[in-house]
Order: sequence, then structure tokens, then C-alpha cells
Amino acid sequence: MLGKLNWQAIPFDQPIALAAGAFVVLVIVGAVIWVVVKGYTPYLWREWITSVDHKRIGIMYCLLAGVMLVRGFIDALMMRTQQALAFHAPGYLPPEHYDQIFSAHGTIMIFFMAMPFVIGLMNFAMPLQLGVRDVAFPTLNSVSFWLTAAGALLVNISLVVGEFARTSWLPYPPLSELRYSPGVGVDYYLWALQISGIGTLMTGINMVTTVLKIRAPGMNYMRMPIFCWTTLASNLLIVAVFPILTATLAMLLLDRYLGFHFFTNDGGGNAMMFQNLIWAWGHPEVYILVLPAFGIFSEVVSTFCGKPLFDRRSMIIATLGICILSLLVWLHHFFTMGAGGDVNAVFGIASMVIAVPTGVKIYNWLFTMYGGRIRFSSPMLWSIGFMVTFVIGGMTGVLLASPVADFVLHNSLFLVAHFHNVIIGGVVFGVFAGYTYWFPKAFGFVLDERLGKAAFWCWSIGFYVTFVPLYVVGLEGMTRRMQHYDRPEWYPWMLVAEVGVLIILCGIALQVAQLWISIRERATRRDLTGDPWDGRSLEWSTSSPPPMFNFAVLPHVVSDEPYWSIKQQALARGQLVAPEPPEYGPIEMPRNSPTGFVTAFFAVVTGFSLIWHIWWLVILGLIGAYATFVVFAWRDHREIEIPAEEVARIDRANRTARAEALRELREGVTR
Amino acid sequence: MSTPALRLAHDPALGPAGIAPGQVTGRGAGGPAPKRIIVGYGFWIFLLSDVIMFSAFFAAYAVLFKSTDGGPSAHELFDLRNTAAQTAVLLASTFTCGMASLAVGHRSQKWTQIALLVTGLLGLIFILLEVREFSGFIARGAGPSRSAFLSSFFTLVGCHGIHVSVALLWLGTQMAQFYAMGFREDIRHRFLCFSLFWHALDIVWVAIFNLVYLVGSLPPELLP
Amino acid sequence: MSKPSDFEAGSYVGGDRVPGAPEERTLAQEVRGYLLGLGLATLLTIASFWADHTREIYASGIAMALLVLTVAQIGIHLIFFLHITTDPDNENNILALAFGVLIVCLIVFGSLWVMIHLNNNLMPMDKLMQMQR
Repeated sequence: MLGKLNWQAIPFDQPIALAAGAFVVLVIVGAVIWVVVKGYTPYLWREWITSVDHKRIGIMYCLLAGVMLVRGFIDALMMRTQQALAFHAPGYLPPEHYDQIFSAHGTIMIFFMAMPFVIGLMNFAMPLQLGVRDVAFPTLNSVSFWLTAAGALLVNISLVVGEFARTSWLPYPPLSELRYSPGVGVDYYLWALQISGIGTLMTGINMVTTVLKIRAPGMNYMRMPIFCWTTLASNLLIVAVFPILTATLAMLLLDRYLGFHFFTNDGGGNAMMFQNLIWAWGHPEVYILVLPAFGIFSEVVSTFCGKPLFDRRSMIIATLGICILSLLVWLHHFFTMGAGGDVNAVFGIASMVIAVPTGVKIYNWLFTMYGGRIRFSSPMLWSIGFMVTFVIGGMTGVLLASPVADFVLHNSLFLVAHFHNVIIGGVVFGVFAGYTYWFPKAFGFVLDERLGKAAFWCWSIGFYVTFVPLYVVGLEGMTRRMQHYDRPEWYPWMLVAEVGVLIILCGIALQVAQLWISIRERATRRDLTGDPWDGRSLEWSTSSPPPMFNFAVLPHVVSDEPYWSIKQQALARGQLVAPEPPEYGPIEMPRNSPTGFVTAFFAVVTGFSLIWHIWWLVILGLIGAYATFVVFAWRDHREIEIPAEEVARIDRANRTARAEALRELREGVTR
Repeated sequence: MSTPALRLAHDPALGPAGIAPGQVTGRGAGGPAPKRIIVGYGFWIFLLSDVIMFSAFFAAYAVLFKSTDGGPSAHELFDLRNTAAQTAVLLASTFTCGMASLAVGHRSQKWTQIALLVTGLLGLIFILLEVREFSGFIARGAGPSRSAFLSSFFTLVGCHGIHVSVALLWLGTQMAQFYAMGFREDIRHRFLCFSLFWHALDIVWVAIFNLVYLVGSLPPELLP
Repeated sequence: MSKPSDFEAGSYVGGDRVPGAPEERTLAQEVRGYLLGLGLATLLTIASFWADHTREIYASGIAMALLVLTVAQIGIHLIFFLHITTDPDNENNILALAFGVLIVCLIVFGSLWVMIHLNNNLMPMDKLMQMQR
């Protein structure tokens, strides 16, 4: 009746897992009760859960990412502590549990922290920068978010009901086949990723279409902000490679559920093919993550140096070059699997070549800073921290790109340090910069700067204290994922790494404090003009937060720094560029819809019942999903109209604020 | 009457009017595209992603083609008469789907329903032929769990079959919507997507019947 | 009926083409286009089946001939049924198609290249186990 599900699924005999699971359940139940009791449910449902507004969806993505960052970091803390304790000792985590923790850490950080954070920022900022009202397919956007959340939910359910995969963040067969992983852990992983993978693919399609087909009049390709170019490149990669992930995981699922022989040891299966296909997805995936971060840095650096970005054209070409090259290097993840010298050499050289366009970008940022008036606000600190940290990580990457070196260092802690170097230095610093940069636009008040800077320093110093020891022990031969070890030369470095991760913990605590305190003090931190950083692109021409329709009248773009040129003109003339209010018309916006939430609900039901082999529930879940689709397709009213008077009222407030800011600027200038 | 989802309003006071002379059309600098183009392009990108997924299954099939584990090989199994029938039926259905597109363009309810019905019936015949072939293989002990070659064959061709089945569900919904709500703009957009999907499925079948069935049934000495 | 079919024209500067929508022509012209596509596709399909059975083509080249015929048949579908053209309005559609083709080639030929080398150097498990019997 309930398939494989029974009371043994709950980890009553594992105290740590039980405590963690109980804590998570209490927090979630407590949050739900608080929301319901305080009467927030209708507001949440109407304004957030059923929202198809790209800004709201972007914020929810970032919120999901923030929560999962904490969960993934706790996993990291547990791993570091285990390795700091387990010298000639068993540590406190038995191997079965430790294996689940490092698998969960990687899976959560990549799929449910980094991807949502990056996608959330792209969702929020890209339409505003393009000067338009929403993405191409707003309801699909909502479905994408909720499917991602569904995947995250499934992974977290595994903490309480059942177990997670022990096969690391990429489940190599034959270990991940049914024979060697008969439990539900790998199934949790596979279904969570298949479900959220569909969401991500939909996002890719949505954003590619938006960037190519929906821009303000006058915005040709050369006038598009660099963040939108990197959004395009990243989403082209999503469209190109997520289908490979879907197919490969499907093959593993077929092996596990229906006894197929794609990757099995018997029947002619080829386990090596899994690694080939999964890395054909996996390498572009990391560029999907880092390209938008590069875009964020381009925006932040030019804004906080008060200069246009140095050589936009080479920046764009470098972005597209990285996009294409990232598709040509995947074998460097399995040099040691034995493809031979010829194949290894080709992929090794390609992997080194990809450093060239990346270097072009670094030089462009440096030249942007040179001669500029640099303001060391926290987004700029994150950017400078990125430039130093990512370059070091990139250099170790080029080192690993040599098959000769990689044969020694493959799957050592040197590798682990390298990819954390580039992911933390690149992606994490990037999303933190973007979070701080666009927070005032999203919520209407600025985050506390002092706490933000303190958090940056903790993260930066903590990162080096954690991972430089890992470089060292990697060179000394320590393999990754070790539950215990007995080499005395590694032990002190593990202790240093433990200190490092505690410093990062302080950084995260400071970020939480920053958010809490800024929210409490938001009345004094209001962003009244919509332009707290003296920005250069179009999102800063809206109020903070922008109205639902973003722009009362779509701007006409004539330069590659649209808002900057508007501001210069206004300063010169002493009045708003459009002194008379424009002619307002009614604006049609897409109507909110529960489709996303309901689809995700059925996805969770279907996924959970597939994992536990509850077949009748699977069928119900699929029928529910199809019914949702039909109901959505059958609706008559797809848009709401915002009357012209409402548009006029909102825009007039924005114009008044800007006229006031202009007056103050000019008085400051002439004084 | 079509209602644009994004309002295009040009405020000349915000800057010099006009786009650069010689601006090539279709590059998006004229403001947001009409809904029909947005929907069509988005679905086109989805189709490409679907084809990429098929190519991953194709790659697996190509790699595992010779891994028969002593079991039946392609040469022994494939019945090309069945393949020819499936090909003819699907090609004909692509043509009738094209006719349906024309009928929708001319707003003829009768011809739309007829063309779509014929398309659906042809698609159904295709599926029945495929189910018959698969069950025949399974009955002969050549099911997907027999060998890696058979796993990859069943997955690749079966994935195509699942796509066709889902398309048939969509087709039925489309017919119902045209009947119930007429030729409303959003339903026509969806039908545009459906016909793109249906044509793309025939394109994938072209690759399958040539490279899986026809190449597969060559005697082993003629294989590359 | 020879009046042009009623499709909305691109209503802004730079009206580009939707992939799949027939252009504004008369009904007779449009039906002729589809029939021509059907005819060509049928011919090429028959050619494929013929190539598979015949010994007229150099034996080892049959597989290559089928690959070429596949590309040709797909081309017919793209042109006649999906209305891919080379006019400037179609640019984005062609670029997307080219990108897709690139990815497909990378995956299929890249995987084959890599896996053949891997299999040569490192026997897949089942053959290894067969050897040990």
C-alpha cells in the first residue's frame, strides 16, 4: 500500500540525523504556524506564492538560496569538524552518515544554492535593465521557481524520511546502481534533480527569449548591459546542456527502476559513459554559474568606479567565447579514466585556452578601475575580493588542466580547494555583491554597510584559512572525502581549516545580523530616489521597489549606459529630461496564477511516491499535474489592466522624487 | 481582437527619436516583439533543447550499439517493413498537420477538426505499430533489460514514442479548445507550438529510422 | 480560395518571422509548398530504404550514405514544413538552429570519440568479466 515506506524510514537510531531532522521539522512547522496565526496567509498567497512578477520570483529564488546556503554550510561545518577530529580516530560521524553529508553538501550548494541565487538575480535585474515589464513567459517563470523549490524540498525530506545518497554530488555508477546502493538515497537525489532540472530548463528558454526578443526600443545588442549579455550566454548554456543531465539521470533511473543496462557491470553496460555524459553537462554547469557573476562584477565595478566599463566589445566577445569554449573541455574531469594521450592532450589544451577570455575580462575590470574614483562600498569589496581570489583559483585550474599534473592531483584535496576557490571566489562573492547591490532596488532600503564589510572580511579571510591548507595537503597526497586518516603531516592543516570554516561561520552570522538589523531600521535606511549607488543602467531609473509594471512608459535607449546619459543630460539642463509628464495609457500585466505552486505540489507527490515505490500515488500525481496544465490552458482571463490614472499616480511620485534628487544634486554641484 | 501583453509607448521627450538608420530588422531594437513571435521563438528554443536530449540518448545508443551481451543484435531483430509503415504514417501525419495549420489560418472550424483528427489517427497508428514491435521483442526475450544495446534502443525509440503520445494528448486538448472557444489568439499560438512539436517529432523519427533501423539492419561487416 | 490567409503581420519595426508559420501567400501556393515537401521527403525516404538493401553503393559507404540522406530529409522538413528561410527576419531562428546543431554534433561525435578511446584502453566491465571466465 505504501510501497517501501515504513516507520524504519525515520532515523530513530541515528541521534545526529534525528536531531537535525527534528530541528528542521520544528522550524518549518513553527514558521507555518506563525504565518497562519498572524494572518499573513492571504497576503503571502496573493502577493508571493501565486505571483508571476519577475521581481517577486527573483526574490523568492534568492530566499530559497539563502536558506539552502545555511543548510549546505552546516554540512560543510560537519565535514571539516569530522576531518579535524578523525586523525587516528573514528571522528563523530560514521562513514554511512559522513558519505551522505558530503553528497548533500555538494548537491545542495550547486543545485539549490548557487543555481537559484544566480537565477534569482538574473530574474530580478535583467528585465529592469532591458527596460521592459517582465520576462517572456511569466507564468512559466513561476512554474520554474516552484519546481526548483520542490526539488529542494525533496532533498530536505530525505533528512527526515529515509536517507540521502552516499554517492557524492555526481552519482557515479556502478556505486549508484541498485546493486550497490539499494536504498532510497540515490532515488531522492535523482528525482529531486529531474524535477528541478525541468524548472531550470524552462528558465533557460524563458530568459533566452526575453533577452533576444523583449528589449526597450533603441536597445540594440551593443547597447545591452553586460549583465544581460552574461544572462544570455548563461541561459544559452542551460538550454544546451540541461537536456543532457535529464537524459543521463533518466538512464540511471531506468537502470535502477526497470533493470536496464546503461551503466551496469553486467549486460554490456558501460559505467564510463556515465562520467562522459554527466561531465558534458557538468562543466558547462559551472560556467552557467560563473558567467552571471562576471556580469554582476561588470555592473558593480563600473558603477563604483564612476567610469564606463572598459572596452565593452571585447567583454562581450570574451563572454561568448567562454560560452562556446566551456562546451569543449569536459573530459578534463576524467583525465585519469584512460582515454589516452591524444584525447587528453586535446581537452587539456582546450581547458587552458578558456583562461584567455577570462583573463581579458579581468584586465577589462582592472582597466575600468584604473583612473576611476573608486568607492569601497561592500559590493566593490566583494568585487575586488573576487578578482584576487578567482584569479588564484583560475591559475590552479590551468595547472590541473595539464593531464600530467592532473594524474597526481585528480580527486585530491588540491582539486577540492581549486573548485571551491573559483566557486566561492567567483560565484558566491558574485551573488553576495549582486545581493547587496540590488537589495535597495528590491526592498526600498539599503543594507547596513558596516556589517556588510565585516561579513566580507570574515568570508575572505575565512576562505583562505580554510582552503589554503587543503591545497597543501592535496599536494601531500590527501584524497578527497576521507572519513578518517592517519598521516600526521595532514593533521595540523585540518585544524587550521577548521578555524577557517569557523571564521566563515562568523561571516554568515554577520550577514544574517545585517539583514535582521537593516529590516528593523528600514525606516531610516530608505532609498528615496531609487538610485542609491549613482547607477548607470536602467533599473536605477525606477523607484525602489519598482511598481509592478516597472516602467510607466518604456524608455527609449540611445546609449550603452542609458540611465547615465539621461542623468548627465538632466544635470546639464537643470531639469528632468522629460519635463512634462508623458502621456499615460493603461497597462496590461499578466494575471497571478497558482499554476506554479500546484504543479510543484504534484511534482513533490509524484517524486516522493516514485522514491518509495508507491505506484498508485504516482499515477494520481501525474494525473494531477496534467489536470493542472489543462486548467491553466483553459482559463479565459490571462491579464489584468492597470488603469491609466493609477499608472499616472505612481509615476508622478517617482518623477517628484527624482526632480527633488536632481535639485539637491545641482545645489551640491554649484555650491 | 488581439490585446498586446506589453504596451509599447514611445516617449520622444526621453531622447532623440528613431532607431539608427540601416537598423536590420529582427534584431530586437524596435522594442518588444509581438506575442506571436515571442511564443514561437520560445517554443523553437524548447524544441532545440528537446532535440539535444534526444542526441544524448543517440550518443548512448551509438556507444552501446555493439554491447549485446551475447543477446540479439539489431541485424537479427529489426523488421524493416514495420519501420517503413511507421515512417509512411508519420510523414503523412506531418503533411496533414500542415494542412491543419492552413485551415487554422483560414479560420475554418470544419477543416481544422478534420485535418487534426486525421493527424491524430495517423499518430495513433504509429504508436500502435511501435507498441506491437516492442511487445514482440519482449516476447522473444529481447526486452530492454536483456542487454545494454537493447536498453539504449528501447530508451531512444521509446522516448520518441512517449513524446508522440504526449503530443496526441495535446492534440486532443487542442481540438477540444478550438471547438469550445474558436480561433482565439492564444489558442492559435498554442497550436503554432503544437505544429512545431509535431514536425520536430517527424524530424527526430527521420534520424531514428535512418540511423537506428536502417543502419542497424545492415549486416555487421558493413558497419563502420 | 485564393485570398491570402489571415495571419497577423509583424506589427513593429523589424518584424521577424516565427518559425513554422506560413508566410502570407495564397492558399493554393501554400498547399503546393506542403505537397512539394511531402513529395521530396517521400522520395528521399524511399532512397534511404533502397540504399539499405542495394549493393549498388560501395558497401562500407552505405552507413555514410544514410547519414547524408538523413541530413537531406531533415533539411526538407525544415524548409517545407517549418519554413526556415534565409531572409534577414529569420536570423535569430537560424542562429538558434545552428547552435542546436553544434551541440548535437559535440555530444554525439564527442561522446563517440571519447568512448571509443576509453573502451580501447579500458575494457568495459562485461567484456572484462567474460575474459575472466
